[in-house]
Amino acid sequence: MTTLAALEKGYEFPPASFDLSDEWVDAYAASVEDEAIGALDGGFVPPMAVAALAIRALLENASLPPGTLHAGQELAFTAPVRRGEMLTVASRIASRGERAGWALMGVELRVARAGEDVMTGKATITMPAAEGAAA
Amino acid sequence: MTQQSTSLAVGAALPAVTKKVTQEKINAYALAGGDGNPLHTDPAFAAGAQFGGTIAHGMLVLAYVSEMLTAAFGADWLASGRLKVRFRAPARPGDALTSSGRVTAVEGGDIVCEVDCRSQSGEVLVSGTARVSR
Repeated sequence: MTTLAALEKGYEFPPASFDLSDEWVDAYAASVEDEAIGALDGGFVPPMAVAALAIRALLENASLPPGTLHAGQELAFTAPVRRGEMLTVASRIASRGERAGWALMGVELRVARAGEDVMTGKATITMPAAEGAAA
Repeated sequence: MTQQSTSLAVGAALPAVTKKVTQEKINAYALAGGDGNPLHTDPAFAAGAQFGGTIAHGMLVLAYVSEMLTAAFGADWLASGRLKVRFRAPARPGDALTSSGRVTAVEGGDIVCEVDCRSQSGEVLVSGTARVSR
């Protein structure tokens, strides 16, 4: 698997699809112990679950080199998401810079349902730069 | 959509959320989130890494902040929430994390909040801003 540090600005990750199955949503909700989402009617999924899926799609296509740190995160939720829905994730490397052997990367994340965005965001990640990777 | 009772007034505090971090919870998040980085899940590996032990995923800690915002703003948070944060320090197994926030501005239909997540010692682990339309 390609390491994230070796990818260049503009790289687009392969689109991925996820089914918000009860099994997965229950596992996610249990792991984060979200008590607030259950107080809402409508079978909503915690919005951060959508963000987690976006990161998951990224990690299924690129490994994180040792020393990788998640430095910042921007998220915009634009529609509630419910159990049983199918989501698609698209992501691309929007920025990449290097300094003193470290890469600072901005990865744009976009999650959609039937072509309509439900979440957009950007992860800022820092990691040891890969040899030979372009800034 | 469900409406919560959080005051719209500038200075109003959001309902704080406190969670205890454990290695078991980190492992469960790693499975659900597909992030098995040994820095999070392998104590032996992590002992020799930069933090001297395992740390929680940033997105796990951020989920606690989002829970606070869901409690404060209900389905409005799911439909219009925006969050911008920096991860400033790691959360470790055994930490008790408290997410808190307060309204800093009301701009038209938008409510702007400062949010953070601190350890039991008061160290700021995550800080940033949230915005929600009502």
